[in-house]
Amino acid sequence: MKLNQLSLYNYRGYNKQDIAFGKGVNLFIGDNGSGKTNLLEAIYFLSLAKSYKTEDSNLIKFNQDFSRILTTVDLIDKSYDIKIILSKNKKKIILDGREIQKLSDYIGQVNVVSFLPEDMNLIKGPPKNRRYFIDSIIGQMDRNYLIELSNYKSFLKQRNDLIKKLSEDKNPDMTLLDIYTEQLAKAGEKIISYRNNFINKINLELKSIYPYLANNPYLFEFKYLPSIDSSLEGTLKENYRKDLFVRTTTSGPHRDDYGFLMDDIDAKDIASQGEQRIMILSSLLAVTEIIFHYKKQRPILLLDDVFSELDTTRQNKLIHFLNKSHLQTIITTTTTTNINQEILDDAKIFNVKNHFIRGNKHE
Amino acid sequence: MNFPKSIEDLIVQFMKYPGVGRKTAERFVFHTINKMDKESVKELSETLTQLKERINYCKVCNNLTDKEVCHICSNEKRDQSIILIVESPKDVFSIEDTSQYKGLYHVLNGVLSPADGIGPEELNLKTLWDRVAEKKVKEIIIATSSTQEGETTALYIKRVLQDTDLTVSRIGYGVPVGLNLEYADQLTLSKAIENRKKF
Repeated sequence: MKLNQLSLYNYRGYNKQDIAFGKGVNLFIGDNGSGKTNLLEAIYFLSLAKSYKTEDSNLIKFNQDFSRILTTVDLIDKSYDIKIILSKNKKKIILDGREIQKLSDYIGQVNVVSFLPEDMNLIKGPPKNRRYFIDSIIGQMDRNYLIELSNYKSFLKQRNDLIKKLSEDKNPDMTLLDIYTEQLAKAGEKIISYRNNFINKINLELKSIYPYLANNPYLFEFKYLPSIDSSLEGTLKENYRKDLFVRTTTSGPHRDDYGFLMDDIDAKDIASQGEQRIMILSSLLAVTEIIFHYKKQRPILLLDDVFSELDTTRQNKLIHFLNKSHLQTIITTTTTTNINQEILDDAKIFNVKNHFIRGNKHE
Repeated sequence: MNFPKSIEDLIVQFMKYPGVGRKTAERFVFHTINKMDKESVKELSETLTQLKERINYCKVCNNLTDKEVCHICSNEKRDQSIILIVESPKDVFSIEDTSQYKGLYHVLNGVLSPADGIGPEELNLKTLWDRVAEKKVKEIIIATSSTQEGETTALYIKRVLQDTDLTVSRIGYGVPVGLNLEYADQLTLSKAIENRKKF
């Protein structure tokens, strides 16, 4: 999947901007605040029909009534046009001239995998970040996972509310708790099997991607750390007393975690900032491969300010790797002085200044 | 635009009904003013009052009735050995319309949902346990919806009754009659396959 053409109108700081992307690496070079991240945000919007950081109305240029994103997406055998119009309290999405009625019918038309500076919290941050990261990737590949997940979550809410009530009861009726526990376990087992499956796949891909990018001989692997690794139903039932005491469901897939392991040691204890960045980037590249196997289309890769904290060798290796991949990549950076000229020659370069983008003449 | 107070008051009253917004409520009011004579307005208001005075819940099955025991429970020709459990009185009328079922009913008046504060005590379950304790009943059919809450409620009833010698069954769920398979969603189809029966 490639974006061919993108045109922004009254989007964020942009007045009117047309961009013709290259099929491989696209480098957007500019100072802080010049509008690089806004461009990535617009592409992200094409994917999920929402911004990752703000409400729709903030995307409209100051003092304007509406903004518009227009693009042509090329697939292997066909292409289609997408037009998104954002006004103060409405958004309209038009796919090949037909207005989309249900947002869920649209999502999935543009697949992106993105790296944002805040993703650096993935390794150091709380388990919630890692769960969200993995859940959204599996959900992007398979919509059924999201259905199972919301099913699990509503059983969990029912069970937690029941536990609160039972904990105040002198003579609690445990029959209903048994039933919710069994249903929760059944739903949870499906979630666990999706997650296991995904971790196996990503580790397989990482074997070939990580050593090259990291330029080191370590083995980087994801480790699934389920909060219950034996029988779900059995463990949940053993925990009744504890759950009733703390008044919530203390274990289960909603408390799962994932480890980023370097030669079996948790990366958060030993890896430098640069090494962590390479681990996350390798994971995202592995994800693009898995999505390709699933959907037969490669997603578009968005990398925001990706070079900082990376040494010169790794910067060059990353761009070289992306040049050789079949991915369309859109990268923002403040400078490319560390990148070798022959590697830059294979990429398409844009300069961004005051929300104005100009393609580099050279090419 | 400001309506005279008596018009505005009635609009507000009509808007309390489900599915009635301001525009519809206004139409109701003007219909009342223009198309109904005093006599029929009086008839309407009396019918409304009588409804609240006369309608109550059947002592046996909790169905809506204007007697103490509803016409189904008091009909001796109906099969006294089967009880069909539904969520609401409306479901009783739907099933009665099919003329297929000849047994008795039991109305729960809701489904289990601790998140909404509805536990077993909030439903008409105690009366159900009393009914099945009398030896006349041989079979229970659970006809709660196939939502998560309906399913949980069904499992709960089944669990409580598991040590009795009652036959407990659940109505079949799956592809709607007359529907082309291509229009059925994944969940419905997988349920239908799960609930397949020997043919």
